[in-house]
Amino acid sequence: MKFTTRELVTMAVFGALWGLVEISLGAVFHAIDLPMTGMTLAIIGVMVACIGRLFVSKRGSTIFIGIIAMVLKLFSIGSAVIGPMVGILAEALIAELVLSAFMKPSLLVFIVASAGASLWTLVQPFVTGVLLFGRNLLMIWLDLLDTGTRLFGIPYQAAVWIVIVLVSVHILAGGIGGWLAWKLGQVLKTRLGGDVPHPVR
Amino acid sequence: MLKHAQPITMSVNSPRPLVGSLGHFSIFLWALVMVLIPTYTKGIILALFTLGVLILLYPAAVKRLARPRWLVIFGVLFLVNLFFGVSDQAPDLTILGLSFSSLNILNSIQMTLRAAVILLAADGLSSSVNIVEVAGLLERSGLRGLGFSIGVATNLLPDLRQSGMNAWHSLRMRGGFRAQWWRGLQLLVVTVFSNALRHAEQIVLAAEVRAFRPELSRKSPLRIGTLDGWLAAGLTILAVVLTLG
Repeated sequence: MKFTTRELVTMAVFGALWGLVEISLGAVFHAIDLPMTGMTLAIIGVMVACIGRLFVSKRGSTIFIGIIAMVLKLFSIGSAVIGPMVGILAEALIAELVLSAFMKPSLLVFIVASAGASLWTLVQPFVTGVLLFGRNLLMIWLDLLDTGTRLFGIPYQAAVWIVIVLVSVHILAGGIGGWLAWKLGQVLKTRLGGDVPHPVR
Repeated sequence: MLKHAQPITMSVNSPRPLVGSLGHFSIFLWALVMVLIPTYTKGIILALFTLGVLILLYPAAVKRLARPRWLVIFGVLFLVNLFFGVSDQAPDLTILGLSFSSLNILNSIQMTLRAAVILLAADGLSSSVNIVEVAGLLERSGLRGLGFSIGVATNLLPDLRQSGMNAWHSLRMRGGFRAQWWRGLQLLVVTVFSNALRHAEQIVLAAEVRAFRPELSRKSPLRIGTLDGWLAAGLTILAVVLTLG
């Protein structure tokens, strides 16, 4: 990955914005116990990274932005941030893979990237919980069902429905995030005298 | 907003440290290997050993993890694994009238220790290594220019926060979030992004004026400790012998 000075600074700006969201909004959301905090932060973060991709249309720029945000999160005040760090890196990787799979950024690509990252927050406990914290899969599964029951009032026994609703909500919220990122990116490009998105180099 | 880690600049008065960036990173990786690979009784012994080493190395991190919030999390992790563990073994122990499976007890101890070791290792690493050193380590693994970007991002954080707060207060004081809150929110986001990108333009100009070129720039410095090489080699051998032996 070779980037020019301008691209490195632009990615630093977007990485700092994602890091700022994780550090400040993350703390506020956790403090007020907002439901689906992880999903909300993931969507906002990937929105920032996707907009960054409009300004640095090169393969690897999204993961670069994610790594900057992850390092900033690692050094933020408050200990034990290994879960969010894994989350940021995985979300950036998913967005990077989706954005790199297409030649040119578009509304659809942004929606898929954002929805993918949003869905990861549903999967992450199964990965980090087992690998890092040694929780068993059954407990994580029961936690997931409990979340569905609490948020949507679906009976505990209707496990399939809980999963369908949770996946749908994550995809829908991610899709909205992707759409917003695209619109916002276009506004910023126009305001800052940019042009239409370039094909990926 | 960001933690202060050890400075990386060295002078005649500040001699070479015993453990540098690579040493701390080796300790972090060693701790992960020691608790992620072995299972049950062996896992508990190795986790206890690793925990002991980490406590000796990072006493400040222990204080942070000894907060009530983390103690409750460790307690919950232990109890959940104890009562809802997936072991098929029938209960073979009775403590205070409650029946337990000995395998579940071992498992819950190991899981709690594993969580404590991982959190302690991550916190120890982040409090002992400077942000620029992490960038330097990543840069040496192929992410060229990351050190420069992380430096820019770190310096930008307070400005971005201040700029965001200013935009928020300006909009709020003009009733921007009352009548048309959605429009107000859009304007806030656009303002924050525009300000950030304009700021970036100034940084690019400053860097180019100083003839900065990413391909020719020096990599971010690392603190090289006198024991780093020995530590990395020793910990690798120890991890292989203890986990696979």
